[in-house]
Amino acid sequence: MEEGSITANAGLAGLLAAHRAELLRFLAARSGDAGEAEDLLQELWLKASLTAAGPVANGRAYLFRMANNLVLDRSRERQRAMRRDRDWLERNEAAPAAVEAMADPSPGADAGLIEAEEADLLRQAIMSLPHGARRALLMYRFEGLGQAEIARVMGISRSGVEKHLAVAMRHLRQKLADCGFFVAAPSQHREPAGGLGPHGKNKP
Amino acid sequence: MTGADETIFATAVTWHLATQRDDMDWDGFTAWLEADPQHRTIYGEVALTDAALERHADRLAPLSEAYASSTLPRRTWPLWAGGTVAAALAAVLLVPQFIAGRSETFTTESTQRKIALADGSSVLLAPHSRLTVSGRHKDELALAGGAYFEIRHDPQRSLTIRANELEIGDIGTRFEVQATDRAVRVEVSEGQVEVRGDALGDPVELAAGHRILFDPAHGLAMVASVAASDVGEWREGRLTYDAAPLALVASDLARYAGVGVTMPPALAGRRFSGTLSIKDGNAAVRDLSQLMGLELSRDAGAYRLSDPG
Repeated sequence: MEEGSITANAGLAGLLAAHRAELLRFLAARSGDAGEAEDLLQELWLKASLTAAGPVANGRAYLFRMANNLVLDRSRERQRAMRRDRDWLERNEAAPAAVEAMADPSPGADAGLIEAEEADLLRQAIMSLPHGARRALLMYRFEGLGQAEIARVMGISRSGVEKHLAVAMRHLRQKLADCGFFVAAPSQHREPAGGLGPHGKNKP
Repeated sequence: MTGADETIFATAVTWHLATQRDDMDWDGFTAWLEADPQHRTIYGEVALTDAALERHADRLAPLSEAYASSTLPRRTWPLWAGGTVAAALAAVLLVPQFIAGRSETFTTESTQRKIALADGSSVLLAPHSRLTVSGRHKDELALAGGAYFEIRHDPQRSLTIRANELEIGDIGTRFEVQATDRAVRVEVSEGQVEVRGDALGDPVELAAGHRILFDPAHGLAMVASVAASDVGEWREGRLTYDAAPLALVASDLARYAGVGVTMPPALAGRRFSGTLSIKDGNAAVRDLSQLMGLELSRDAGAYRLSDPG
């Protein structure tokens, strides 16, 4: 079998060393925090070393994609944790008398609820999209079609597809933001008392 | 949103779409992120929005059926030979003459469906899958989901199958294709196919007894051997894996056994080797959790796998 430019995975960690500076710079730019970037690079190195053997078509792009996904995973976890805390606080405010009897939030049950609500919210947001944007988004996300293919099916240019997708993403982002989805964003919904985690006690 | 914000947002979406491609300009992207802290914030929200869509793919994909496909030409086809055992398991469909240039779309819900192509080839479309047939000679297929192909060799034409970022061609053979936005898998039981794609560099010749597993998110492709009898074995109610990522096993279980399984991102890449009987989806999930030593819980109608403790 011809493997051409394919890089063996054993070389992935080595490749990372060669591109260390660029990756670190990217991680800092993407996460906005130089300290976190160092941390993420460490995690990336671990992941790269542990990835099951197999040829990688373009090692450098592969590492950048892995790095980009690490930042995404981390912001997702952070955002979910903050949302759980906030929901817990809101419920406490709504029923202060019940606070003493209330157990710490159960991540499992809450996560299930949040998941279902999120899916409903997205479903409604998708249904309220303009026709073209909705079609492009559904083909892109749920039918696995590439931009060129969507362009062909819809009979428009690739940049037309990008415009549709941008309209769709902006609309969905707005709907999610309206429901406090992006709680991790520094300017929004930051809880004034930073120490109130899942195990924090309600202030009198 | 102001005009300037809209421009930043559109640029962020363009970058985001490009991250999936191999020709992505990562240095240019880094420079763009560094240029203005707002770029980072907006890009982060675009990525999170798309990730939310991806995470709820199982719940949201039916919308695709309702809205994206509705504008494509659709007809109802007469059922063939009702009453036999085979027909009870799979509705057999005859594809008549196409109107030139039109594309034809076939979708399945919870049952598989056999599609007979005009040249005598046939496609068994797996549950929850979608096949589009287009091109002047009806030789351009596109698959989302799973299918087992039995293609009659015809030197006069070159049939191609689009599966996510890959293209499969040069075929007169039997093989199976699985295409989701997370992974593409091609397994050949007879003959030989050529698998092409920008991410692969050179095309890969895949002979009988081999399979390729492609991860579009990371541009990672793996070629391995596979027992010919394991190819398309979902038709017999069984799935066999050899070091397959857990996320892929979960998407197969959703498609073939009709059970939803979620897991924390840290588990998605963990490897599974073994055979699952998918005649009973609940049992299949329990087997999977036991074989991997994972904890199984259930919430909101879906199973969740997690590390014990």
